[in-house]
Amino acid sequence: MDLKGFGAQIATGAGLTLLVAALSLVIGLAIGGLGAAAKLSGSRPLRVIADAYTTLMRGVPELLILLLLYFGGTVLLTWVAGEYVEVNGLGAGLFALSLLCGAYTTEVLRAAIQSVPRGQLEAARALGLRQAHVVRLVMLPQVWRLALPGLGNTWLVLLKDTSLISVVGLEELMRKSAIAAGATHQPFTFYAVAAGVYLLFTTVSVLGISALERRARRGLARA
Amino acid sequence: MRLFLIAALVAATIGFQGQAQAQDKVRIATEGAYAPFNFKAPDGTLQGFDVDIAKVLCERAHLECTIVAQDWDGIIPGLLAKKYDAIVASMSITEERKKKVDFTDKYYQTPARFVQKKGANLTISKDGLKGKTIGAQRSTIHAQYLQDNYADVADIKLYDSQENADLDLTAGRLDLVLADSIVLLEGFLNKPDGKGFEFIGPELKDPKWFGAGAGIAVRPGDAKLKDAFNKALAEIRKDGTYEKIDAKYFPFSIY
Repeated sequence: MDLKGFGAQIATGAGLTLLVAALSLVIGLAIGGLGAAAKLSGSRPLRVIADAYTTLMRGVPELLILLLLYFGGTVLLTWVAGEYVEVNGLGAGLFALSLLCGAYTTEVLRAAIQSVPRGQLEAARALGLRQAHVVRLVMLPQVWRLALPGLGNTWLVLLKDTSLISVVGLEELMRKSAIAAGATHQPFTFYAVAAGVYLLFTTVSVLGISALERRARRGLARA
Repeated sequence: MRLFLIAALVAATIGFQGQAQAQDKVRIATEGAYAPFNFKAPDGTLQGFDVDIAKVLCERAHLECTIVAQDWDGIIPGLLAKKYDAIVASMSITEERKKKVDFTDKYYQTPARFVQKKGANLTISKDGLKGKTIGAQRSTIHAQYLQDNYADVADIKLYDSQENADLDLTAGRLDLVLADSIVLLEGFLNKPDGKGFEFIGPELKDPKWFGAGAGIAVRPGDAKLKDAFNKALAEIRKDGTYEKIDAKYFPFSIY
Protein backbone atom coordinates (compact mmCIF):
# COMPACT_ATOMS: atom_id res chain seq x y z
CA MET A 1 0.00 0.00 0.00
CA ASP A 2 1.34 3.43 -0.93
CA LEU A 3 1.50 5.60 2.18
CA LYS A 4 3.03 8.58 0.32
CA GLY A 5 5.92 8.72 2.76
CA PHE A 6 3.66 9.04 5.81
CA GLY A 7 4.44 5.51 7.05
CA ALA A 8 7.03 6.64 9.59
CA GLN A 9 4.63 9.26 10.96
CA ILE A 10 1.86 6.69 11.36
CA ALA A 11 4.28 4.37 13.16
CA THR A 12 5.32 7.17 15.55
CA GLY A 13 1.65 7.87 16.20
CA ALA A 14 0.94 4.20 16.88
CA GLY A 15 3.82 4.14 19.37
CA LEU A 16 2.43 7.14 21.20
CA THR A 17 -1.03 5.55 21.28
CA LEU A 18 0.40 2.45 22.96
CA LEU A 19 2.41 4.54 25.40
CA VAL A 20 -0.56 6.65 26.45
CA ALA A 21 -2.80 3.60 26.83
CA ALA A 22 -0.21 1.65 28.85
CA LEU A 23 0.58 4.56 31.20
CA SER A 24 -3.12 5.29 31.70
CA LEU A 25 -3.73 1.62 32.54
CA VAL A 26 -0.97 1.55 35.16
CA ILE A 27 -2.14 4.76 36.81
CA GLY A 28 -5.78 3.74 36.38
CA LEU A 29 -5.15 0.38 38.10
CA ALA A 30 -3.56 2.16 41.04
CA ILE A 31 -6.51 4.53 41.29
CA GLY A 32 -8.88 1.58 40.90
CA GLY A 33 -7.22 -0.29 43.76
CA LEU A 34 -7.54 2.74 46.03
CA GLY A 35 -11.09 3.37 44.84
CA ALA A 36 -12.20 -0.19 45.53
CA ALA A 37 -10.57 -0.09 48.96
CA ALA A 38 -12.37 3.19 49.69
CA LYS A 39 -15.73 1.82 48.54
CA LEU A 40 -15.40 -1.22 50.78
CA SER A 41 -13.92 0.61 53.73
CA GLY A 42 -15.75 1.29 56.97
CA SER A 43 -15.27 5.03 56.59
CA ARG A 44 -18.35 6.81 55.36
CA PRO A 45 -16.58 9.92 53.96
CA LEU A 46 -14.24 7.69 51.92
CA ARG A 47 -17.19 5.74 50.51
CA VAL A 48 -18.99 8.95 49.59
CA ILE A 49 -15.90 10.35 47.82
CA ALA A 50 -15.35 7.11 45.90
CA ASP A 51 -19.03 6.94 44.92
CA ALA A 52 -19.01 10.54 43.72
CA TYR A 53 -15.85 9.88 41.71
CA THR A 54 -17.13 6.79 39.89
CA THR A 55 -20.55 8.35 39.31
CA LEU A 56 -19.03 11.46 37.75
CA MET A 57 -16.41 9.71 35.63
CA ARG A 58 -18.71 7.01 34.35
CA GLY A 59 -21.64 9.38 33.86
CA VAL A 60 -20.04 12.05 31.66
CA PRO A 61 -18.84 11.36 28.09
CA GLU A 62 -15.12 10.67 27.83
CA LEU A 63 -14.67 13.37 25.20
CA LEU A 64 -16.30 15.95 27.44
CA ILE A 65 -14.07 15.07 30.39
CA LEU A 66 -11.02 15.42 28.17
CA LEU A 67 -12.10 18.83 26.87
CA LEU A 68 -12.96 20.00 30.39
CA LEU A 69 -9.51 19.04 31.63
CA TYR A 70 -7.67 20.43 28.63
CA PHE A 71 -9.37 23.82 28.37
CA GLY A 72 -10.68 24.12 31.91
CA GLY A 73 -7.39 22.86 33.34
CA THR A 74 -5.44 25.68 31.74
CA VAL A 75 -7.83 28.27 33.12
CA LEU A 76 -7.86 26.71 36.59
CA LEU A 77 -4.10 26.25 36.85
CA THR A 78 -3.49 29.75 35.51
CA TRP A 79 -5.87 31.13 38.10
CA VAL A 80 -4.19 29.17 40.90
CA ALA A 81 -0.63 29.97 39.83
CA GLY A 82 -1.32 33.60 38.97
CA GLU A 83 0.47 33.28 35.63
CA TYR A 84 -0.13 31.41 32.41
CA VAL A 85 0.26 27.66 32.80
CA GLU A 86 0.29 25.48 29.73
CA VAL A 87 -1.65 22.22 29.90
CA ASN A 88 -0.36 20.17 27.01
CA GLY A 89 -2.32 17.54 25.12
CA LEU A 90 -0.29 14.65 26.49
CA GLY A 91 -0.69 15.73 30.11
CA ALA A 92 -4.41 16.41 29.82
CA GLY A 93 -4.94 13.18 27.88
CA LEU A 94 -3.04 10.99 30.31
CA PHE A 95 -4.80 12.60 33.25
CA ALA A 96 -8.27 12.20 31.73
CA LEU A 97 -7.75 8.60 30.58
CA SER A 98 -6.20 7.59 33.91
CA LEU A 99 -9.15 9.03 35.82
CA LEU A 100 -11.61 7.30 33.49
CA CYS A 101 -9.78 4.00 33.62
CA GLY A 102 -9.56 4.37 37.40
CA ALA A 103 -13.33 4.76 37.72
CA TYR A 104 -14.06 1.63 35.71
CA THR A 105 -11.40 -0.48 37.42
CA THR A 106 -12.70 0.68 40.82
CA GLU A 107 -16.00 -0.99 40.02
CA VAL A 108 -14.39 -4.08 38.48
CA LEU A 109 -12.12 -4.61 41.49
CA ARG A 110 -14.89 -3.89 43.97
CA ALA A 111 -17.14 -6.49 42.37
CA ALA A 112 -14.29 -9.01 42.25
CA ILE A 113 -13.39 -8.50 45.90
CA GLN A 114 -17.02 -8.88 46.94
CA SER A 115 -17.29 -12.10 44.95
CA VAL A 116 -14.80 -13.87 47.18
CA PRO A 117 -17.00 -15.71 49.72
CA ARG A 118 -16.74 -14.20 53.19
CA GLY A 119 -16.47 -17.68 54.65
CA GLN A 120 -13.04 -18.09 53.13
CA LEU A 121 -11.79 -14.98 54.91
CA GLU A 122 -13.24 -16.18 58.19
CA ALA A 123 -11.66 -19.59 57.68
CA ALA A 124 -8.30 -18.00 56.90
CA ARG A 125 -8.44 -15.92 60.04
CA ALA A 126 -9.54 -18.93 62.08
CA LEU A 127 -6.43 -20.70 60.81
CA GLY A 128 -4.39 -17.86 62.31
CA LEU A 129 -3.28 -16.16 59.08
CA ARG A 130 -2.27 -12.54 59.50
CA GLN A 131 -4.15 -9.83 57.53
CA ALA A 132 -1.29 -9.45 55.02
CA HIS A 133 -1.30 -13.18 54.41
CA VAL A 134 -5.06 -13.26 54.00
CA VAL A 135 -4.79 -10.64 51.27
CA ARG A 136 -1.82 -12.20 49.51
CA LEU A 137 -2.67 -15.89 49.75
CA VAL A 138 -6.46 -15.96 49.79
CA MET A 139 -7.80 -12.76 48.29
CA LEU A 140 -5.44 -11.70 45.49
CA PRO A 141 -5.30 -14.97 43.53
CA GLN A 142 -9.10 -15.05 43.40
CA VAL A 143 -9.68 -11.32 42.90
CA TRP A 144 -7.20 -11.45 40.03
CA ARG A 145 -9.10 -14.28 38.35
CA LEU A 146 -12.50 -12.66 38.89
CA ALA A 147 -11.37 -9.20 37.80
CA LEU A 148 -9.48 -10.20 34.66
CA PRO A 149 -12.42 -10.28 32.21
CA GLY A 150 -13.56 -6.86 33.39
CA LEU A 151 -10.05 -5.44 33.33
CA GLY A 152 -9.54 -6.84 29.84
CA ASN A 153 -12.65 -4.99 28.69
CA THR A 154 -11.45 -1.80 30.33
CA TRP A 155 -8.10 -2.11 28.56
CA LEU A 156 -9.72 -2.53 25.14
CA VAL A 157 -11.96 0.49 25.70
CA LEU A 158 -9.00 2.49 26.96
CA LEU A 159 -6.87 1.59 23.97
CA LYS A 160 -9.55 2.91 21.62
CA ASP A 161 -10.34 5.95 23.78
CA THR A 162 -6.81 7.21 23.23
CA SER A 163 -8.07 8.32 19.80
CA LEU A 164 -10.13 10.98 21.59
CA ILE A 165 -6.94 12.76 22.62
CA SER A 166 -6.40 13.66 18.98
CA VAL A 167 -8.95 16.46 19.41
CA VAL A 168 -6.63 18.34 21.74
CA GLY A 169 -3.77 18.12 19.28
CA LEU A 170 -1.78 15.17 20.58
CA GLU A 171 -0.30 13.50 17.52
CA GLU A 172 -1.14 9.89 18.26
CA LEU A 173 -2.31 7.33 15.71
CA MET A 174 -5.70 8.93 14.99
CA ARG A 175 -4.35 12.45 14.53
CA LYS A 176 -1.39 11.34 12.43
CA SER A 177 -3.82 9.50 10.17
CA ALA A 178 -6.05 12.57 9.88
CA ILE A 179 -3.05 14.74 8.99
CA ALA A 180 -1.93 12.26 6.35
CA ALA A 181 -5.49 11.92 5.02
CA GLY A 182 -5.79 15.69 4.68
CA ALA A 183 -2.38 16.23 3.14
CA THR A 184 -2.74 13.45 0.56
CA HIS A 185 -6.52 13.69 0.01
CA GLN A 186 -6.73 9.94 0.60
CA PRO A 187 -8.94 9.56 3.64
CA PHE A 188 -9.89 5.96 2.99
CA THR A 189 -6.31 4.73 2.74
CA PHE A 190 -5.13 6.33 5.95
CA TYR A 191 -8.20 5.72 8.07
CA ALA A 192 -8.15 2.08 6.93
CA VAL A 193 -4.49 1.84 7.94
CA ALA A 194 -5.32 3.35 11.34
CA ALA A 195 -8.22 0.92 11.78
CA GLY A 196 -5.86 -1.94 10.92
CA VAL A 197 -3.32 -0.80 13.51
CA TYR A 198 -5.98 -0.48 16.23
CA LEU A 199 -7.32 -3.90 15.30
CA LEU A 200 -3.82 -5.35 15.51
CA PHE A 201 -3.30 -3.88 18.97
CA THR A 202 -6.67 -5.09 20.24
CA THR A 203 -6.29 -8.57 18.74
CA VAL A 204 -2.91 -9.05 20.37
CA SER A 205 -4.46 -7.73 23.60
CA VAL A 206 -7.33 -10.22 23.43
CA LEU A 207 -4.85 -13.09 22.96
CA GLY A 208 -2.81 -11.82 25.89
CA ILE A 209 -5.86 -11.46 28.10
CA SER A 210 -7.02 -15.03 27.29
CA ALA A 211 -3.56 -16.33 28.20
CA LEU A 212 -3.69 -14.45 31.51
CA GLU A 213 -7.19 -15.76 32.20
CA ARG A 214 -6.08 -19.33 31.55
CA ARG A 215 -3.20 -18.86 33.93
CA ALA A 216 -5.39 -17.29 36.63
CA ARG A 217 -7.83 -20.19 36.31
CA ARG A 218 -5.26 -22.97 36.36
CA GLY A 219 -6.27 -24.29 39.80
CA LEU A 220 -9.89 -24.49 38.72
CA ALA A 221 -9.50 -26.02 35.31
CA ARG A 222 -10.20 -29.56 36.41
CA ALA A 223 -12.60 -28.75 39.17
CA MET B 1 39.39 61.61 19.81
CA ARG B 2 36.53 62.21 22.21
CA LEU B 3 34.07 62.04 19.38
CA PHE B 4 35.61 58.81 18.23
CA LEU B 5 35.28 57.35 21.74
CA ILE B 6 31.63 58.31 21.95
CA ALA B 7 31.02 56.85 18.51
CA ALA B 8 32.76 53.65 19.57
CA LEU B 9 30.68 53.47 22.73
CA VAL B 10 27.48 54.02 20.82
CA ALA B 11 28.49 51.41 18.29
CA ALA B 12 29.33 48.98 21.09
CA THR B 13 26.00 49.63 22.77
CA ILE B 14 24.12 49.05 19.56
CA GLY B 15 26.14 45.92 18.94
CA PHE B 16 25.38 44.73 22.42
CA GLN B 17 21.67 45.38 21.97
CA GLY B 18 21.83 43.47 18.75
CA GLN B 19 23.21 40.53 20.63
CA ALA B 20 20.63 40.79 23.35
CA GLN B 21 17.97 40.82 20.65
CA ALA B 22 19.41 37.74 19.03
CA GLN B 23 18.42 35.78 22.09
CA ASP B 24 14.77 36.86 21.97
CA LYS B 25 12.67 33.74 21.72
CA VAL B 26 9.49 33.92 19.71
CA ARG B 27 6.96 31.15 19.21
CA ILE B 28 5.04 31.26 15.96
CA ALA B 29 1.87 29.33 15.20
CA THR B 30 0.74 28.14 11.80
CA GLU B 31 -2.08 25.78 10.85
CA GLY B 32 -0.35 23.06 8.87
CA ALA B 33 -3.35 22.10 6.73
CA TYR B 34 -3.41 24.89 4.14
CA ALA B 35 -1.15 23.87 1.27
CA PRO B 36 0.81 25.43 -0.33
CA PHE B 37 0.98 28.15 2.34
CA ASN B 38 1.42 25.87 5.31
CA PHE B 39 1.28 22.10 5.50
CA LYS B 40 2.74 19.05 7.18
CA ALA B 41 5.31 17.21 5.08
CA PRO B 42 5.46 13.40 5.24
CA ASP B 43 8.37 13.65 7.69
CA GLY B 44 6.15 15.62 10.08
CA THR B 45 7.82 19.03 9.59
CA LEU B 46 5.88 22.21 8.83
CA GLN B 47 6.53 23.64 5.39
CA GLY B 48 5.11 26.10 2.90
CA PHE B 49 5.17 29.76 1.92
CA ASP B 50 4.05 31.01 5.35
CA VAL B 51 6.69 28.93 7.08
CA ASP B 52 9.47 30.13 4.77
CA ILE B 53 8.41 33.76 5.21
CA ALA B 54 8.25 33.34 8.99
CA LYS B 55 11.74 31.83 9.06
CA VAL B 56 13.35 34.53 6.96
CA LEU B 57 11.59 37.32 8.90
CA CYS B 58 12.86 35.87 12.17
CA GLU B 59 16.36 35.67 10.76
CA ARG B 60 16.26 39.31 9.67
CA ALA B 61 14.78 40.49 12.97
CA HIS B 62 17.35 38.46 14.93
CA LEU B 63 14.67 36.45 16.67
CA GLU B 64 15.06 32.85 17.70
CA CYS B 65 11.81 31.37 16.43
CA THR B 66 10.11 28.06 16.89
CA ILE B 67 7.16 27.23 14.67
CA VAL B 68 4.29 25.18 16.05
CA ALA B 69 1.15 23.73 14.51
CA GLN B 70 -2.23 24.85 15.85
CA ASP B 71 -5.71 24.05 14.57
CA TRP B 72 -7.36 27.01 12.86
CA ASP B 73 -10.35 26.98 15.23
CA GLY B 74 -8.27 27.86 18.26
CA ILE B 75 -5.50 29.85 16.64
CA ILE B 76 -6.49 33.33 17.90
CA PRO B 77 -7.50 32.17 21.42
CA GLY B 78 -4.11 30.42 21.62
CA LEU B 79 -2.31 33.65 20.76
CA LEU B 80 -4.27 35.60 23.37
CA ALA B 81 -3.58 32.87 25.94
CA LYS B 82 0.16 33.27 25.18
CA LYS B 83 0.61 29.76 23.86
CA TYR B 84 2.67 31.51 21.16
CA ASP B 85 3.54 35.07 20.24
CA ALA B 86 2.59 35.43 16.59
CA ILE B 87 0.43 33.77 13.92
CA VAL B 88 1.85 33.33 10.43
CA ALA B 89 -0.94 31.31 8.87
CA SER B 90 -2.28 33.21 5.87
CA MET B 91 -4.62 35.14 8.14
CA SER B 92 -6.43 37.92 6.29
CA ILE B 93 -6.37 41.33 7.90
CA THR B 94 -10.03 42.11 8.61
CA GLU B 95 -11.78 44.69 10.78
CA GLU B 96 -13.36 41.98 12.87
CA ARG B 97 -10.04 40.31 13.69
CA LYS B 98 -8.41 43.68 14.38
CA LYS B 99 -10.70 43.98 17.38
CA LYS B 100 -8.86 41.04 18.95
CA VAL B 101 -5.31 41.09 17.57
CA ASP B 102 -2.83 43.47 15.95
CA PHE B 103 -1.60 42.84 12.44
CA THR B 104 1.64 43.61 10.65
CA ASP B 105 1.56 44.92 7.10
CA LYS B 106 0.27 42.39 4.58
CA TYR B 107 2.78 39.84 3.31
CA TYR B 108 0.66 38.61 0.44
CA GLN B 109 -2.76 39.13 -1.07
CA THR B 110 -4.66 36.84 -3.37
CA PRO B 111 -8.31 36.81 -4.45
CA ALA B 112 -10.92 34.22 -3.49
CA ARG B 113 -12.71 32.03 -6.03
CA PHE B 114 -15.33 29.32 -6.29
CA VAL B 115 -14.51 25.83 -7.52
CA GLN B 116 -17.08 23.47 -9.05
CA LYS B 117 -17.14 20.04 -10.66
CA LYS B 118 -16.06 20.36 -14.29
CA GLY B 119 -19.03 21.04 -16.54
CA ALA B 120 -21.49 21.78 -13.74
CA ASN B 121 -22.06 25.21 -15.32
CA LEU B 122 -23.23 26.92 -12.17
CA THR B 123 -23.96 30.64 -12.22
CA ILE B 124 -22.57 32.57 -9.27
CA SER B 125 -25.62 34.58 -8.26
CA LYS B 126 -28.46 34.35 -5.80
CA ASP B 127 -30.64 32.61 -8.36
CA GLY B 128 -27.88 30.39 -9.69
CA LEU B 129 -26.91 29.07 -6.26
CA LYS B 130 -30.45 28.44 -5.02
CA GLY B 131 -30.58 25.09 -3.26
CA LYS B 132 -26.87 24.39 -3.79
CA THR B 133 -24.51 23.22 -1.08
CA ILE B 134 -21.42 25.40 -0.69
CA GLY B 135 -18.44 24.60 1.51
CA ALA B 136 -15.77 26.75 3.14
CA GLN B 137 -13.43 26.64 6.09
CA ARG B 138 -14.92 27.81 9.38
CA SER B 139 -13.88 31.20 10.83
CA THR B 140 -12.49 32.43 7.53
CA ILE B 141 -13.26 35.41 5.35
CA HIS B 142 -14.73 32.95 2.85
CA ALA B 143 -17.17 31.54 5.40
CA GLN B 144 -18.18 35.07 6.38
CA TYR B 145 -18.71 36.04 2.74
CA LEU B 146 -20.94 33.01 2.10
CA GLN B 147 -23.00 33.62 5.20
CA ASP B 148 -23.50 37.30 4.41
CA ASN B 149 -24.41 36.75 0.75
CA TYR B 150 -25.85 33.29 0.18
CA ALA B 151 -27.09 31.99 3.52
CA ASP B 152 -30.71 32.68 2.58
CA VAL B 153 -30.66 30.68 -0.68
CA ALA B 154 -27.91 28.07 -0.37
CA ASP B 155 -26.92 25.46 2.18
CA ILE B 156 -23.55 26.46 3.63
CA LYS B 157 -21.35 23.82 5.19
CA LEU B 158 -18.30 24.86 7.20
CA TYR B 159 -15.23 22.72 7.84
CA ASP B 160 -12.44 22.76 10.40
CA SER B 161 -9.79 22.72 7.68
CA GLN B 162 -9.62 23.55 3.99
CA GLU B 163 -8.46 20.00 3.30
CA ASN B 164 -11.69 18.62 4.71
CA ALA B 165 -13.78 20.98 2.59
CA ASP B 166 -11.87 19.80 -0.50
CA LEU B 167 -12.44 16.19 0.54
CA ASP B 168 -16.20 16.71 0.74
CA LEU B 169 -16.21 18.39 -2.67
CA THR B 170 -14.48 15.32 -4.14
CA ALA B 171 -16.89 13.07 -2.26
CA GLY B 172 -19.79 14.86 -3.97
CA ARG B 173 -21.36 16.31 -0.81
CA LEU B 174 -20.67 19.86 -1.98
CA ASP B 175 -21.56 21.61 -5.24
CA LEU B 176 -19.04 24.38 -4.69
CA VAL B 177 -16.16 25.37 -2.49
CA LEU B 178 -15.17 28.98 -1.87
CA ALA B 179 -11.58 29.59 -0.81
CA ASP B 180 -8.40 31.42 -1.62
CA SER B 181 -7.69 31.01 -5.33
CA ILE B 182 -4.04 30.02 -4.81
CA VAL B 183 -4.88 27.48 -2.16
CA LEU B 184 -7.49 25.95 -4.46
CA LEU B 185 -5.14 25.99 -7.43
CA GLU B 186 -1.96 24.65 -5.83
CA GLY B 187 -3.49 22.70 -2.98
CA PHE B 188 -6.31 21.09 -4.94
CA LEU B 189 -6.83 21.69 -8.67
CA ASN B 190 -3.20 20.97 -9.60
CA LYS B 191 -3.24 17.72 -7.62
CA PRO B 192 -4.54 14.38 -8.91
CA ASP B 193 -7.82 14.61 -6.91
CA GLY B 194 -8.56 18.07 -8.29
CA LYS B 195 -8.52 16.87 -11.91
CA GLY B 196 -12.28 16.86 -12.38
CA PHE B 197 -12.81 20.34 -10.93
CA GLU B 198 -12.47 23.92 -12.19
CA PHE B 199 -12.72 27.58 -11.18
CA ILE B 200 -16.05 29.27 -11.78
CA GLY B 201 -17.07 32.91 -11.46
CA PRO B 202 -14.97 36.03 -10.98
CA GLU B 203 -12.09 36.70 -8.60
CA LEU B 204 -13.52 38.03 -5.35
CA LYS B 205 -11.56 40.72 -3.56
CA ASP B 206 -14.05 43.15 -2.03
CA PRO B 207 -12.14 44.50 1.00
CA LYS B 208 -15.37 44.53 2.98
CA TRP B 209 -15.10 40.74 3.24
CA PHE B 210 -11.71 39.82 1.93
CA GLY B 211 -9.69 42.29 3.95
CA ALA B 212 -6.38 43.83 3.10
CA GLY B 213 -4.30 40.74 2.42
CA ALA B 214 -2.68 38.28 4.79
CA GLY B 215 -0.74 39.65 7.74
CA ILE B 216 1.04 38.36 10.80
CA ALA B 217 -1.10 38.55 13.92
CA VAL B 218 0.44 39.50 17.27
CA ARG B 219 -1.13 40.16 20.65
CA PRO B 220 -2.76 43.61 20.91
CA GLY B 221 -0.19 46.15 22.02
CA ASP B 222 2.82 44.00 21.18
CA ALA B 223 4.31 46.81 19.12
CA LYS B 224 7.87 45.57 19.55
CA LEU B 225 7.27 42.31 17.72
CA LYS B 226 4.97 43.92 15.17
CA ASP B 227 7.54 46.60 14.30
CA ALA B 228 10.34 44.04 14.11
CA PHE B 229 8.34 41.98 11.61
CA ASN B 230 7.31 45.05 9.60
CA LYS B 231 10.91 46.21 9.34
CA ALA B 232 12.11 42.77 8.29
CA LEU B 233 9.25 42.48 5.80
CA ALA B 234 10.16 45.81 4.16
CA GLU B 235 13.76 44.58 3.97
CA ILE B 236 13.03 41.29 2.22
CA ARG B 237 10.62 43.05 -0.15
CA LYS B 238 13.43 45.41 -1.14
CA ASP B 239 16.38 43.03 -1.46
CA GLY B 240 14.69 40.32 -3.54
CA THR B 241 14.46 37.66 -0.82
CA TYR B 242 10.67 37.81 -0.93
CA GLU B 243 10.62 37.25 -4.68
CA LYS B 244 12.85 34.22 -4.30
CA ILE B 245 10.49 32.62 -1.80
CA ASP B 246 7.50 33.57 -3.96
CA ALA B 247 9.12 31.98 -7.01
CA LYS B 248 9.79 28.77 -5.08
CA TYR B 249 6.03 28.21 -4.81
CA PHE B 250 4.28 30.24 -7.51
CA PRO B 251 4.96 31.16 -11.13
CA PHE B 252 3.72 34.73 -10.44
CA SER B 253 3.88 37.35 -7.69
CA ILE B 254 1.29 36.98 -4.95
CA TYR B 255 2.15 40.25 -3.16
